[in-house]
Amino acid sequence: MFTELAIFILGLAATFLSMPVIIQKMRKRRIVGVDVHKKDRILIPEMGGIAVLVGLTVSVLAAIILLPEKASLLISFLATTLIAGLIGARDDLKPLNAKVKPFLTALASVPILLMPTYYPRPVFPIIGRTRLTIVYPLIIPFAIAVPSNAVNMMDPFNGTMSGTCTIVTLVLLVSSLLLHSNDGLMLSACLLGPVLALYYFNRYPAKVFSGDVGSLSIGAALGAIAVLGQVEVVTIVAFMPQIMNAFYGLATIGRLYERREVSRPINILEDGRLAASKDPKAPITLARVILARGPLHESEAARIFMILSAIAGLLAILTAQLIVMTPP
Amino acid sequence: MIRRILDFVFILLFVWACMILGLWIIDSYIVPFQLPATTNNIITATLKVGVSAAMVLFWLWLWREIIRRMFWRTTGVR
Repeated sequence: MFTELAIFILGLAATFLSMPVIIQKMRKRRIVGVDVHKKDRILIPEMGGIAVLVGLTVSVLAAIILLPEKASLLISFLATTLIAGLIGARDDLKPLNAKVKPFLTALASVPILLMPTYYPRPVFPIIGRTRLTIVYPLIIPFAIAVPSNAVNMMDPFNGTMSGTCTIVTLVLLVSSLLLHSNDGLMLSACLLGPVLALYYFNRYPAKVFSGDVGSLSIGAALGAIAVLGQVEVVTIVAFMPQIMNAFYGLATIGRLYERREVSRPINILEDGRLAASKDPKAPITLARVILARGPLHESEAARIFMILSAIAGLLAILTAQLIVMTPP
Repeated sequence: MIRRILDFVFILLFVWACMILGLWIIDSYIVPFQLPATTNNIITATLKVGVSAAMVLFWLWLWREIIRRMFWRTTGVR
């Protein structure tokens, strides 16, 4: 536990210290985005996710020093996350096609497949341990691309992406403890510090946006924890709000889309509150469904996202407990 | 606020319960299933995967329909 605590503190400190530098650099280079849900449409520095990658690199390197026998697992985890981060950075600077992005993020799984650091025997509640020697490696690219893009799509309000991902990471850490998955515990500890620090800066009112560099890399890291820590089903349950959001959006539009290609699902009212759009062509996102009962302030809507993620997290921990109770 | 959260809590619980029920059906009925007329394992395995995949697709469809209906009923617009 001391190792995991040290890794967590190092990742948290590295992201916390590097974020103000990133914010300053982005402001200086005019890499800023409009905060579309504020009436005065203020400009916020983008690409704060770079600080997450800095923090994650520090925590993983510390883990390699403390646990050299886990080096290949940790390197494949870091490489997957950094590749997804590079794709996100390219998307932030020069937007990628909506169909190309999922394909490129699937390529981020190459280090896990090549090294190979996965164990093709996932455990399901009720069913128990299964053997998927042939199918499992074919699923891994999806296991990285799906969470990566689902996290990227669930960033409507200040702090929702970073906050919900902090909860998912914490849930994976607790579930790894329950399932005695040392790898899952270590990898979750590596990610928890950087995402928590990002949440501090990204929460309402945001001082920085994570950008796709942050959302794609955090999503890929969570997918990698699911595969490498053998907490696949638990991750799916913890990810239910993100899956819901991405799935409804895709089901309404009928294809992969970029936010700027479709009608806005949320409108801003005169008093600054947010309301669900009544445009039938706008995607039915989770944010739009939450606002369907009436307008809310951005901070209130963001809080609902956090509560939903916490409830999904409790169900995920319950799923982990069911796996423990399943006979081997 | 509470009503909005409760709507989603019920959906999350329903979707999670359906997933657990689906896993139980797979474990109790689909995995032990053997085609009586054939000894070809590939045909039986393909059938098992097909039925399981159809169950997953039905689960996703159900999930989508609940939200779609809930959204349009709440907004009162079609």
